[in-house]
Amino acid sequence: MTMLGQYRARDSILHRLPAGAKLIGLVVVIVAVVVPPPTWWGLGAGAVVVIAGYLVGRLGLAELWRQILAVRWLIVFIVVVPLIFLPIPTVLATAARVVIVLLLAAIVTLTTRTTEILDAVERALRPLRRFGVNPDRIGLMLALTIRTVPVIAGLAGELRDAQRARTGRLSVKAFVVPLLVQSLRHADDTADALAARGVE
Amino acid sequence: MLSGQHDSARDSDIALTRVTVRHPTAAGEVTALDDISLETCAHNLAVIGLNGSGKSTFARLLNGLRTPTQGSVSVGGLDTVTDVRMLRRKVGFVFTNPDAQIVMPTVAEDLAFSLRGRGLSTGQIAERVAAVLAENGLAGHADLPAHDLSGGQKQMLAIQSVLVAEPSLIVADEPTTLLDARNARRIADLLLGLPQQCVIVTHDLELAARCDEALLFDNARLITQGNPRDVIDRYLSEIVARP
Ligand SMILES: Nc1ncnc2c1ncn2[C@@H]1O[C@H](COP(=O)(O)OP(=O)(O)OP(=O)(O)O)[C@@H](O)[C@H]1O
Ligand SMILES: [Mg+2]
Repeated sequence: MTMLGQYRARDSILHRLPAGAKLIGLVVVIVAVVVPPPTWWGLGAGAVVVIAGYLVGRLGLAELWRQILAVRWLIVFIVVVPLIFLPIPTVLATAARVVIVLLLAAIVTLTTRTTEILDAVERALRPLRRFGVNPDRIGLMLALTIRTVPVIAGLAGELRDAQRARTGRLSVKAFVVPLLVQSLRHADDTADALAARGVE
Repeated sequence: MLSGQHDSARDSDIALTRVTVRHPTAAGEVTALDDISLETCAHNLAVIGLNGSGKSTFARLLNGLRTPTQGSVSVGGLDTVTDVRMLRRKVGFVFTNPDAQIVMPTVAEDLAFSLRGRGLSTGQIAERVAAVLAENGLAGHADLPAHDLSGGQKQMLAIQSVLVAEPSLIVADEPTTLLDARNARRIADLLLGLPQQCVIVTHDLELAARCDEALLFDNARLITQGNPRDVIDRYLSEIVARP
C-alpha cells in the first residue's frame, strides 16, 4: 500500500532544506496556484513546478505516479460529484488544482522527516504559548494522526476480508460499527502506551 | 556486566499489600483482583492463568496504568499512585500489540520519542538511536515507516523503544502472543537475557518455565507463587483440567 507522501530518504537539496523553509515555500506556491482564477497557462506552470520538485528531490517520475495512484479515489470523488452541478471545464480545472496542491504537499512530506516537520510546527506555534496553546501537545497529536492512518487502514482491510470470508459480500453497517469499535479500542491502547512511555 | 549474569542487588522489590481492583461495568462491578498480597524480587517473574484471571490488571498495576481500588502497590520503594512520574521512568511496559505502542511514524523517530524530555541534545539522541538500531540489526530500517515492518520486527522495535529509555524493570503483557514460534523465541531470549528485571505475563508455558519465579492467578486471586515448574504443574492439574 502506498501512503500519500511517506518520507523517502535521499540525498538532495530539497531533503537538506530546513523544514520551515519548505513549509513556507509550500504555502506560497499553493496560494499562487489556488488564488488566481485558473487558466491553462497557470495549471501548466503548476504541473511544471510539481515535476521539477520530484526531479530535484531525486524522487523520480515513478514516485510522482505512485503519489497520483495514492489519491486516485479522491480524484474520482472530486471530479464525479461536482459534475452533477457544474460544467465540465470548471470541474476539471478545480480538480487539477486540488491534485497539484496534494502533489506539492507530498513533495514536502516525501523529503522531510515527520520529526522535522513537527519541530518546525512546534517552533512556529511557540509564541502562542501565552494564549494557552501547548505546541508539544499539538506536535504529538500530528505525529499520532500520521501514525494512526495506516493502522486504521489495516483494521479496515481486515474487517473487509473477514466479512467477505463470512458472507461473501460487504454490508456498510456491519463494517462501520466494528471499525469504530476497533478504532476506539486502538485509541485506548495508544493512550495507555503513551502513559507508559511517560507522556502525561 | 556480562550478559546472563544478573545483578540481583539492583532488582526492585515488588510488593502488593491487600490490593483489590474493581472495574465498573454495565452489569455492575467486576473484581479484577481480589485482596492480593505478595512480595517478590525475582529477576524474571512469570505470570500465568486463564483468560480474565487478572494477569493484565496485575501487570498494569506495576507502572501505575491501573490504580488499586483498595490497598497499595510499591515497586523498588516507589508507591505506584503517589510516585507515578518517577515510577514510569523506572518501569518500562511492553504491550501485546506493538501497533498500539509504536506512536511515531518511522522506526528511528519512535526510538527517539522515548528519549524526549531528558535534557539530551538532538545529536545525543540521534547517536543513541543509531547505536540501538545497529545493535539490533535494524540499521537499514531507520527511516522505514513502522507499518512496513513485519510483526516480529514491530515487536522488536516496541521493546527497543522501551529499552532505550533504560528502565530498571520491564513489564511485558503477553509480548509473544502475536508472533510466530521463531520470533517468539527471539523475543523471549532477549527479555530473559536482559540485565534488567522482567515481569512477563504469558500463556506460553515454555517461556514461563524459563523464568526464576512464577505467579498463578485464577478468578482475581493469587493461587500460588514459587518455582515455575511447580506453579505450572498446579496450573495444569488444578485449573486447566477443571471441568
Ligand atoms: N477496563 C476494564 N473494564 C471492565 N472490566 C475490566 C477492565 N479490565 C479488565 N476487566 C475485567 O477484569 C478481569 C480481569 O481482566 P484481565 O485483563 O486482568 O485478565 P487477564 O488475566 O489479563 O486475561 P487475558 O489472558 O485474557 O489477557 C476480567 O474479568 C475483565 O473482564
Ligand atoms: Mg491480559
